[in-house]
Amino acid sequence: MIPEPLQDQAALYALGLLEAEEIRGFEEAMHSSAELRVFVREMREASAALAQMAPPQAPPAELKQRVLREVALDKQNAGAKSTAPRVAWLPWAIAALFMAFCGILLVDRARLREQTADILSQVTFVTLGAPSPDQPTTAKATVVWNPGQQSGVITIDNMPPAGPGRDYQLWAVDANHKDPINAGVIRIDPNGVARVRFKPGQSATQIQAFAISLEREGGVPKREGPIVLIGKV
Amino acid sequence: MGLDISQDAADREMLAGVARGDQRAFSQLYDRLSGPLYSLALRMLGDAAEAQDALQDVFLQLWRRAASYDVDQSSVFSWAMLMTRSRVIDRLRARGRRLRVVSSSTDDDATEAAMAHASTIESAADTADRNEEAVRVRSSVSKLPAEQREAIEMAFFNDLTHHEIAAALGQPLGTIKARIRRGLLKLRERATI
Repeated sequence: MIPEPLQDQAALYALGLLEAEEIRGFEEAMHSSAELRVFVREMREASAALAQMAPPQAPPAELKQRVLREVALDKQNAGAKSTAPRVAWLPWAIAALFMAFCGILLVDRARLREQTADILSQVTFVTLGAPSPDQPTTAKATVVWNPGQQSGVITIDNMPPAGPGRDYQLWAVDANHKDPINAGVIRIDPNGVARVRFKPGQSATQIQAFAISLEREGGVPKREGPIVLIGKV
Repeated sequence: MGLDISQDAADREMLAGVARGDQRAFSQLYDRLSGPLYSLALRMLGDAAEAQDALQDVFLQLWRRAASYDVDQSSVFSWAMLMTRSRVIDRLRARGRRLRVVSSSTDDDATEAAMAHASTIESAADTADRNEEAVRVRSSVSKLPAEQREAIEMAFFNDLTHHEIAAALGQPLGTIKARIRRGLLKLRERATI
């Protein structure tokens, strides 16, 4: 019988949630236990099955041709590497061209870096999506968060009405706080759109995610309702 | 989970062909897996063009790494699914770094365009099998207690760690770990019934 803490780790391992150091320790345990290896396989199968919760969609037909072309090219290149006679100067010519190209890119990159340095250092963009794959929502939200100013802007589209006696509420999930920090109530206009500037009620220095929940009208100090959108920072 | 033994054996045979460099086997494997893998990529990325690029990456990886598949670790289907999820998570993280904001209208347009050109090459039998499998999984997941379902879906689809889920839901870390374990155990049990 596998002890529960090890089963916990196996489930997290199958979902790819363990940290590098935890992975090393867990893989050592797996190495010495056939029973654990079988258990992990079963956890992996259960995890992978979750993918089938995604609404079924077929890829466009032309994608298959694109993939097959890519694979044929890959096969051809692999064959060419082992059989084709080498032109001695060709790698050097390619290297020289590549160096020249890199030089141009570096100059360009430095210029761009100057232009965007301020923005890059100041803001974080987060896309929010439904927490469950079968949640029938087309709503999309983006948060632009400025940690220096402790404020942000959220943009929401296609959000269904909260309903009578209800409001949507934004939360900042911060590693330094036990509970998500209240970032205010969001009122959606009749077109399902909201553009709101917000400032969390407490200092948020290590935000991990933003979430929107459906709450009682006027909002609540601590989340009670279901999370309808969430996005990792 | 939910995969019948004959399908798994057929998948392994196709993958063995791919490992030998057989392009016809690769084409068959594409027909078999592209639908579910694309659905997952599209669900997580919310952008059709990016989901197609991710799928192309995954199939190229399958082509190159077919020989490294280990039957003791997972079925072919799960191996490909988890590989897709991993590639998609890489893309989501890169997207955050690139500061790229994709407007929702562009996403929707791309999704609709992709759906309009949806592949018709998949056979009706494949589609039926896949749908049946998906229905079984959906039914199992829907029977999970809400809190277990919430935790495992947040982890799987939103790339949230157990620490982040605990913080988002205002629950102790141990509780979230237990919910994830119990949820996956129940899915496993239902798969073997």
